[in-house]
Amino acid sequence: MRKVFVLTRVTRLLVPERVFHSAVGREAFHLQQRRCFRTHSRNLAYAKDLFLGQINKAEVFPYPEIGNEELEELKQFVAPVEKFFSEEVDSATIDHEAKIPAETLRGLKDLGLFGIMIPEEYGGLGLSNTMYARLNEIIALDGSIAVTLAAHQAIGLKGILLAGNEAQKKKYLPKLASGEHIAAFCLTESGSGSDAASIQTRATLSEDGKHYLINGSKIWISNGGMADIMTVFARTEVEVDGVKKDKISAFVVERAFGGVTSGKPEDKLGIRGSYTCEVSFDNVPVPVENVIGEIGGGFKIAMNILNSGRFSMGSSCAGMIKKLIELTSEYAATRKQFNRSLSEFGLIQEKFALMAINAFVMESMAYLTAGMMDRPGVPECSLEAAMVKVFSSEGGWVCCSEALQVLGGLGYTKNYPFERYLRDCRILPIFEGTNEILRMYIALTGMQHAGNVLTRKVKELKKGNIFLAIGMVGKSIRTSLGGSVDLGLTGNDWVVHPSLEESAKKLEENVSFFGSTVEMLLHRYGKTIVDEQLALKKVADVVINLYAMTAVLSRASRSICIGLRNHDQEVLLTNTFCNDTFFKNNFLMVQLQKHSPENNDANIKKIATAVLANRAYTCSHPLERTF
Amino acid sequence: MRCSRSLLPLLLRSGRPASGQTNQNHRQHQALRHLHSSPASAKSQPVSAHEHRTSKDTSLTTHEDLFEKMAKESKTKATFNKVIEVFIKQDIRRRGHVEFIYAALKKMPEFGVERDLSVYNKLLDVFPKEVFIPRNFIQRMYNHYPKQQECGVQLLEQMETYGVLPNVESKVLLLQIFGEKSHPIRKYQRIMYWFPKFKHINPFPVPMVLPEDPVDLARFSLTRIADDLDAKVTVYQLPCTDTTETGEEITRPHLVGIQSPSQMELLAKHDVNRPVFVEGPFPLWLRKTCVHYYVLRADPTPLHLKVEEPYDPERCLQYPLQLDLDLDRDLGDEESFDVDDLDDGPVFAMCMTSQGNQATLNQWISGLQQNNPILGQVPTLFRLDAGPQKPQESSQSPQPHPETQTEAFQPGEGADETVEEEPRRSHRMKQ
Repeated sequence: MRKVFVLTRVTRLLVPERVFHSAVGREAFHLQQRRCFRTHSRNLAYAKDLFLGQINKAEVFPYPEIGNEELEELKQFVAPVEKFFSEEVDSATIDHEAKIPAETLRGLKDLGLFGIMIPEEYGGLGLSNTMYARLNEIIALDGSIAVTLAAHQAIGLKGILLAGNEAQKKKYLPKLASGEHIAAFCLTESGSGSDAASIQTRATLSEDGKHYLINGSKIWISNGGMADIMTVFARTEVEVDGVKKDKISAFVVERAFGGVTSGKPEDKLGIRGSYTCEVSFDNVPVPVENVIGEIGGGFKIAMNILNSGRFSMGSSCAGMIKKLIELTSEYAATRKQFNRSLSEFGLIQEKFALMAINAFVMESMAYLTAGMMDRPGVPECSLEAAMVKVFSSEGGWVCCSEALQVLGGLGYTKNYPFERYLRDCRILPIFEGTNEILRMYIALTGMQHAGNVLTRKVKELKKGNIFLAIGMVGKSIRTSLGGSVDLGLTGNDWVVHPSLEESAKKLEENVSFFGSTVEMLLHRYGKTIVDEQLALKKVADVVINLYAMTAVLSRASRSICIGLRNHDQEVLLTNTFCNDTFFKNNFLMVQLQKHSPENNDANIKKIATAVLANRAYTCSHPLERTF
Repeated sequence: MRCSRSLLPLLLRSGRPASGQTNQNHRQHQALRHLHSSPASAKSQPVSAHEHRTSKDTSLTTHEDLFEKMAKESKTKATFNKVIEVFIKQDIRRRGHVEFIYAALKKMPEFGVERDLSVYNKLLDVFPKEVFIPRNFIQRMYNHYPKQQECGVQLLEQMETYGVLPNVESKVLLLQIFGEKSHPIRKYQRIMYWFPKFKHINPFPVPMVLPEDPVDLARFSLTRIADDLDAKVTVYQLPCTDTTETGEEITRPHLVGIQSPSQMELLAKHDVNRPVFVEGPFPLWLRKTCVHYYVLRADPTPLHLKVEEPYDPERCLQYPLQLDLDLDRDLGDEESFDVDDLDDGPVFAMCMTSQGNQATLNQWISGLQQNNPILGQVPTLFRLDAGPQKPQESSQSPQPHPETQTEAFQPGEGADETVEEEPRRSHRMKQ
């Protein structure tokens, strides 16, 4: 397949850039700087265009891949990490004692896992997003370690990496990369989750103007107890156009500055080995050169850090599910009931199919997104990353639960690791932005994009532009009469392999329907769509499904074309997933087309309002009587 | 409405459950019932007993007098029951029972038993059994024993009036007396159809017995008005009687207030240049009791003074709180109109007191000031109605809190307002 190979060549070209970069890209703001050519700026975005009913196939086809040398390099990293995790990490003990032993941490440091994405010049491994995702598959086998490492490098030191100046990088990154220092990310406060306006921690400039004094306390800080370097967000007074305003700024705070105290670790449901606690700052003097970015620019930094850290959850979950499949399938094959092994029962088989499909989809989404992020240019993949996070965290939970179910009562005991996996993965829908909030982010960002393009059209329609209306009616009649939608995935200019044509057609049909649904929503709600959270949730679900379909189609097409082992299985998984999701999407979009009284949204709101007004379940007990 | 399964054992257990009659009486009654089928011999057997009674009490006292006579000492349930028992024992034929029942129904409120189901059942029991049941199609076709049926219906009607729900016992009695498909049974069925449906129709039920203590009553009423589970009731003053040095007795009224956190927030944001008003009294009916309350409120902010909080794009870390679009909601999907949602101005707090004069209410305001420091800066105007209490002086003379009055407030103006302005009911009441 010609196109695939073209891409291969492009990615290969990226390899020498690592050397090239260190000279040029110093001032670069973005994490992806290392692999940037900066030849052209990219304004293309796949997920956003879905809201317009378009498939931007150049973004997602062919499926991104890495060069052979990189693959070899990666395999060299993966083997020892895998060995370490299977032989040296005792997850049950970590969970039970709620502590990662020092020797395990040392092992992780020796493997360089504390600086996976820190450039080599600062002593890190300098791996790309794709390779980071691959390593995360293995790291995720222990939830506590995964969270500790993620808090360290996905958010903790990301501020310095993304927005820090050269001096800050030189000073802090080497020790962070080696694991000598551990980083933490201090944003959340008791009164402030996503609401930046309610951050209470304050940084005031000292009289000599050399220090900021930070006061306040942060809660639920992963690594809070052992972190030496912290990215702290605090309120600062900034003068904007002559008016003094409070703005958020980011600081690098060393524990050694003094005045930093951490509380005792929280007793959690899962990821018990990770050290989560409250961190208080009492007049901590932070030199002015430790301000990350510029003063008052903390909000953007926080947003960028949060947005960039999410994509790896897809591969983590996939890694976990693959492990679970191994563990449970052994049981299912050996356990006998009624003279048949469990694996012969349809309901057990269904669970394994579900796990396989989920793992396959997550993997596809995660590596597609990572590949997009690794591409040259300035990629804007936060939407895709959020979609990966939502899909995989929820799929992960379902799969863990199903895996446990295969073992029945045994799975419920502590003799098996399933209950630990279940507890550990319950955090996934919660942290790094709850899924509810990310759904809002996904839907609203897309809506804004679509609105920018469609506002004029919708306004014309409202004014009663007859030609536009006739054109739209004609289009809808054409589609309803069975006129197929062609967005160019198949046919002469094909990017999806012909053996997946049916699934590709389904995706095209869904995307086109989704485009008109979004237009209808904009027409109906305008900017007040912000308050229609139930509708937005459906929008987000549809677009996540569409992205998932794209990812599997793209991946399976590539596999067929280059003849990967067992690609027939991939075709099967892809077709199954697309078929299933096609119907789910149609259902969601039909619901969206209806008004709230018909699609149950109004009822749901009523029920919730009644319950919340009473702050209790409202119905009488079934045993109550009136006479 | 009850299924016959539960009815049957009751019927089997005794003809007239809980009748409280002696065994002898019971036997007599059975005989009577038995005899009814053969009227020819009816006269012979029970005569002795009957005559024995009538000879003893021949006076033609009306039934109402019977109640008066019996209940000279006290009008209670016990005496009422006793009257019924006496009547039952007087005459085995229950002569004049319809009149007796009417009289009893009339007397029930006096004896305070108008809501007592057992008394109604006992009264139903006065009807002779099986006599009024139609036995053939002609009887069934016409109104059989209309006077008695009417009386039975009246009894049920009174139960209905007082909200007493008949039970199985009532049904068994009615069946024994009038038979199925009689008017009283129909009435019973209708009651049983509607009553349960209406029993919990009020989403804000008032208990049958209200708290006696005025403070408790105020607490109950205030939580009832304030539609907020977070609202906190504060007792500023308990009712008490003090004797001053001069020997004068001063009765201090109770003063109970309520305020919710959201009201405190609203008050904190109030523009200090615009006055707040203490208004009242407003009535609140709780069954047959009427209580009065006062509100602290302000006029709605005029449109030109309303400050929209500017949208801060750096507010939410995760998603945009507003969309930057030039599109509004479509007309067909405009659902924001709400008849309840009128801008009447905010209500900041409410209170109840037995003495709604300005001195007492000022005490309330100064109590509120502890948690709402803004009240020290805002001019507070009292616009009190005469209300149920004795008319209050509308002048501003008693002012224990100088801060509550600022120069923005002209005494004359305030006095005018107090006289002229109608109190506004600016808050939602539950009932």
